[in-house]
Amino acid sequence: MVNTLDPQNFNNFSEASVSVEIETEDMTLNIGPQHPSTHGVLRLVAKVDGEKVHDVKPVLGYMHRGYEKLAEVRSYPQITTLVNRIDWVAGFSNEIPFIAGAERLMEIEVPERAKHIRLILNEMARISSHFVFNGAYALEVGALTPIFYAMEDRERVLDLIESVTGGRFHPNFNRIGGVKPAAGSGPTTKKDIQDLPAGFYRDTKVAMQKVIEAADQFQNLIGGNEVFKKRTKNVGILSAETAEAFGVSGPILRASGVKSDLRTQMDYLPYDQFEYDIPIGENGDCYDRWDVRVKEMIESAKIVLQAIDSMPSGPLQAKVPKVIKVPKGRTYVRAENPKGEMGYYIVSDGGLGPYRLKVRTASFSNLSILPLLLEGALLPDLIAIMGSLDFVLGDVDR
Amino acid sequence: MEEFLSKIQENFIKTDVAFETINIKVESSKWIETHQKLKDEFDLKFFSWLSAIDWDNEVSTGEAPKETVSPSFEIITCLSNVSNNNLVTVSTTINKSEPKITSLVEIYAGANWHEREAYEMFGINFENHPNLEKLYLPDGYEGNPMLKSFELISREVKPWPGEVDVEGMPEESESDESVDG
Repeated sequence: MVNTLDPQNFNNFSEASVSVEIETEDMTLNIGPQHPSTHGVLRLVAKVDGEKVHDVKPVLGYMHRGYEKLAEVRSYPQITTLVNRIDWVAGFSNEIPFIAGAERLMEIEVPERAKHIRLILNEMARISSHFVFNGAYALEVGALTPIFYAMEDRERVLDLIESVTGGRFHPNFNRIGGVKPAAGSGPTTKKDIQDLPAGFYRDTKVAMQKVIEAADQFQNLIGGNEVFKKRTKNVGILSAETAEAFGVSGPILRASGVKSDLRTQMDYLPYDQFEYDIPIGENGDCYDRWDVRVKEMIESAKIVLQAIDSMPSGPLQAKVPKVIKVPKGRTYVRAENPKGEMGYYIVSDGGLGPYRLKVRTASFSNLSILPLLLEGALLPDLIAIMGSLDFVLGDVDR
Repeated sequence: MEEFLSKIQENFIKTDVAFETINIKVESSKWIETHQKLKDEFDLKFFSWLSAIDWDNEVSTGEAPKETVSPSFEIITCLSNVSNNNLVTVSTTINKSEPKITSLVEIYAGANWHEREAYEMFGINFENHPNLEKLYLPDGYEGNPMLKSFELISREVKPWPGEVDVEGMPEESESDESVDG
């Protein structure tokens, strides 16, 4: 009889068991389209072998609303209303590159005050978008508390956007040549147009201080959490070369160590007048992507505080014709949106609307990296990696 | 920027700068060669987007071009550099009767989804594409929605619920009068 307690025999036994190969079959796992972590309606068809993900196929189109086709039958002022709804978490930022493109083709010089108001609201939209990311991402990796803080703090910023524009998510505030008179300012006449509501500067200063405090709090509450670190560090690593080839932009690209921020290129907004840092990551993992966004909130709040202090006076609107006709020509205008590079390629034939409008959205390219990042990942990491990309399906499907 | 522009102009025959956007026009046969060169020699490693324009004087949606154009597809890509922010658009024209061009996926992996979108929206075939199937549209969808000949017929398929009722208001009946009496 073989003595199983003899170490010699035990070794033989364990070797024998290793050499037996168990054939496994890939299981197809369907995720979505209705899943809270997909930020809209995204369906993933994942091939999994036990806990290992082999292949992921995103199925898009559930939110496809055909903006590019609709733009063919709309005039330029009407399209501003449409583009608000592309990335609904940061509606204001969607308007900026489109309006700037139309203004560039019409060769309109926008008054400085209007540019400053645009810049302030653009940064507020970035802050509110990052608040949503912070709360939602913590929730996705298993922390319930931060989303309540995030939503409360975001509301403060949304209230400010609402007090100026009249809308929380879809401001539709930009006009070709400037901005619309504020909704909070009551009935306006041509002679006496009030642009910002009373107490706006005071409320903004308070709110931005709160944003900086909230970001600090997130860095302790989320970033200092051991479980969060374990779930996100060295998970879903993305190299800078791959990111560039896929057109991945914004905080995800910066988390991979590339110091690229299109705000330095947006000559139609006065970003060059303010001082701010561009936070970058080291490893390009989920933790860095979260970290970059939290730091960006602080920088955005700093920009808003500086802009409030140096607000120029003057008109809100440049002189524009009553019927907006954009001269023949084509241009591509891009902007640094909360989620990355957003741009509009406008082809005008001199009509009331564009002949062709190509909408380049950040989330579309950012999501296209997902199958690559998930190859060989563990199933519990799937949601952690997907959430760190911070996409919105309206921005993917358009 | 100026140095970059002069280098582009030296290397490519057909270039133009309009409204701060540099555009390079190439033959469709030089599509791959041009992109490889721009990636390797001009350091444009960031693939921003790819799309197409349907040029046609007979249109079903929107306004037709004011000048006469020869019916064709114009394919445009946008490439940039993330460190110095140089940006160019590359365009080529292909025949509408046989719309095909070589896929850019091997040079820029990010072209994959953009080409699938152009394939379903315009019906352009991208040769050597690893997985050329519909991206947004459901299986069995017929037609290419972004063609100018494609009508925006959503309202015909499904009537708009807010449409004014064509039936007239009911005339005053005798029973109404009887209420007074």
